Amino acid sequence: MIYWGGNPAECHPRHFTKYTIMQKGKFVPNGRKGRTMVLVDIRETPSAKAADLFLQIRPGKDFEVLTILRALIKNQRVDSRIAEETGLTLEQLQNLVDRMKNARFGIIFFGMGLSMTRGKHMNSAGVLMLAAEMNAYTKFVAMPMRGHGNVTGSDMVLRWSTGYPFGVNLCRGYPRFNPGEFSTVDLLVRGDIDAALILGADPGATMPQPGIDHLARIPTIVLDPKVTHTSRLARVHITTAATGISAPGTVYRMDEIPLPLRPALKSPYPTDEEVIRRIRELVAKKPAWNETTNGELATV
Amino acid sequence: MTLTIVKNATCTFCGCVCDDIELHADSERIVKTKGACSLGEAWFRNHTAEHLYPDALIDGHPATVDDAVERAAEIMHRANMPLVYGLSNITCEAQREAVTLAEMAGAIIDSHTSL
Ligand code: SF4
Repeated sequence: MIYWGGNPAECHPRHFTKYTIMQKGKFVPNGRKGRTMVLVDIRETPSAKAADLFLQIRPGKDFEVLTILRALIKNQRVDSRIAEETGLTLEQLQNLVDRMKNARFGIIFFGMGLSMTRGKHMNSAGVLMLAAEMNAYTKFVAMPMRGHGNVTGSDMVLRWSTGYPFGVNLCRGYPRFNPGEFSTVDLLVRGDIDAALILGADPGATMPQPGIDHLARIPTIVLDPKVTHTSRLARVHITTAATGISAPGTVYRMDEIPLPLRPALKSPYPTDEEVIRRIRELVAKKPAWNETTNGELATV
Repeated sequence: MTLTIVKNATCTFCGCVCDDIELHADSERIVKTKGACSLGEAWFRNHTAEHLYPDALIDGHPATVDDAVERAAEIMHRANMPLVYGLSNITCEAQREAVTLAEMAGAIIDSHTSL
């Protein structure tokens, strides 16, 4: 079990006990004792205490480490000086590869420390390739550690409805996918979009400043249980019931298992589902897009 | 005051989505949680059923949901290339509605995954 660029002890507190290292399984009757846990990160977080092996790599060297591992599993020669640039020795990397190959079933959980630092999408691709290639030797999978409650659900819903997991452009009437071109940060920073509907997110607090400025410039609509930073710069804010607390529905766990919500409270506000449906129904009644009636947002 | 007890409730604070939590709630707030971690417990306690915020705001002024929905539809309809963003903290049912709306409005739809 490899955790890479994540700190589950603090960010996903029940991950170890409820799902991973502590659980007893059919093929791992001894639970924790029957497993090896490796943590790869740039600094020693509280999660390191739970690990059998902690590998501290240099910041921004994830892609290099992944590439070296991919070479080593195929027994290709790697120059030890190149290996040392990552902050680890060739022996440490070889040792990790041996452990991976000796496992009966391995998994790499990768966090934002991998997918949001230098290399970004390429790092995620590297982890997935590594796991795929390991299957020539043993069973191996990779799974991202998801932060938000239902971010997996949005991947699933977009996948089954458009064929792509995120950053899907529907403006030509058919889905197009191109991370980097159609991802929110890039769209906002470049100022490509002319309106925004923000659903349960607060980009006004998290995006780079030019992106926030663009959100303030265009008509922005926010649906959120709270009045957020983004609501303050938006033209329209609608308060909605909190998912799972007072709004019912389905969410996906990070291993893509759908689970029903059991809300304990009754909210005075409508649910997101209801509000989005009402907006959609109103849009449906309007005439189809055309150049003369559309494209004059300044007057809205 | 009697408490409602919800067994096997689901926590959506992080991607673990633990579904074995017991919640004790009165009509307004969750007073006790069993089984959740400290983050989950804070999440459950942080949200109440009180009417703390205005139903809706248009240009920063309190408004009715009806007017706000109307205005939102107008904005989405007028836009040449709107963006639908977030999705990660809403239910799959709401996400489906969002995809339909995005298709209708010719929008780009994106979630926290793209970060
Ligand atoms: S109880 Fe803790 S670990 Fe489980 S979903 Fe909630 S925040 Fe995550």
